[in-house]
Amino acid sequence: MFWRKQKAAIAGFPPLHQALIFERAISATQPADAWTALAASLGRHGELVRRPKWALPYRTLDVLVPLLLEVCSDLGHDGRLSVAADLRGPKAPGKTHPPRDLPVRPPVRAATETWTVDPWLRLRAELRDGSVLEVLVVDRERTRRITKRNPRGKTKIKRKSKQAQIIRVRRRLPKDGMSVRPAVPPPRWIAVTVRDGERRSVLAAAKLDRPPRSAQEQVDRILTVATEPFRWTPQTSSGGVR
Amino acid sequence: MTPCAVTTGFFTLGKCGQMAVAGCPSCGRALCADHVTDGGLCPECAAAASRFGHPAAVAAHRRRAYRQRTAGEYQDAVWYTSFDSYDRAAFDPGAAASPDYLDDGDDALVDS
Repeated sequence: MFWRKQKAAIAGFPPLHQALIFERAISATQPADAWTALAASLGRHGELVRRPKWALPYRTLDVLVPLLLEVCSDLGHDGRLSVAADLRGPKAPGKTHPPRDLPVRPPVRAATETWTVDPWLRLRAELRDGSVLEVLVVDRERTRRITKRNPRGKTKIKRKSKQAQIIRVRRRLPKDGMSVRPAVPPPRWIAVTVRDGERRSVLAAAKLDRPPRSAQEQVDRILTVATEPFRWTPQTSSGGVR
Repeated sequence: MTPCAVTTGFFTLGKCGQMAVAGCPSCGRALCADHVTDGGLCPECAAAASRFGHPAAVAAHRRRAYRQRTAGEYQDAVWYTSFDSYDRAAFDPGAAASPDYLDDGDDALVDS
């Protein structure tokens, strides 16, 4: 029997850990302790499982786990964290839209445009200050395929792709929660919207034309956008929201 | 009761507030049993001394590094230094805001 010890180790992992190995995706709602236990289990993966086929998907240990640990530290006693992480990558089935024909003129004979949308991370956390934090991270790629024919009858095909990442965060304040515009504006790449209602929401959104080049930069970008709504609530009054 | 003086949380900072059982030999702050790291240090001092045997020390190191890296994004000098009574009130039962998590509305980013 091959891989016996590693199979036994995987069988002892929590179900969400196993789902990351075999399905490359998880979706669950748990309290902070359960997520911390999952993070600890994922941290032991490398020393127990070495077969490449059973490796954790990329972004698991260096992006997902740090985010989970940081958000868990802000959960309330009864607060829960919902995570829907799809780490199958942008080429997974269902993430690429059908190609769309674009209008052309000679010498271009055909042009098609294909969009790939990969919403790989969704978080919803019930924080200890009574607010609810939601995070959505989407990778988007546009691919254009152009067919040209020159006067000598030679046909050339050219492809161009453009990537972007969208990070959206919404913090839904507790009832009667107040928001104030911070004295210092956010960075230019973050747009903030305050939406009134029974419970006021502060939304922060960023579109990154250049996707982060490292896992650390990826975590920093998400946390920076997620931090922005917390600057929009009073910090000095004892009855404030934050 | 002397409360634990370790700062917890990432977005909503607050003191731990559990009953202290020791003091950090380096900075002297009161520590609960959960926040006593290697050598009896508090997480911040353990992170500064590169002792990462305790999860709280790892978290302290990670947060410090993140805040150092991203400090240039904002020109808000008081953002991370502000610390008010409400931050601490989150650890007093009934003192924090009512945890009303229901009704996310139609524009929710995540299905709850």
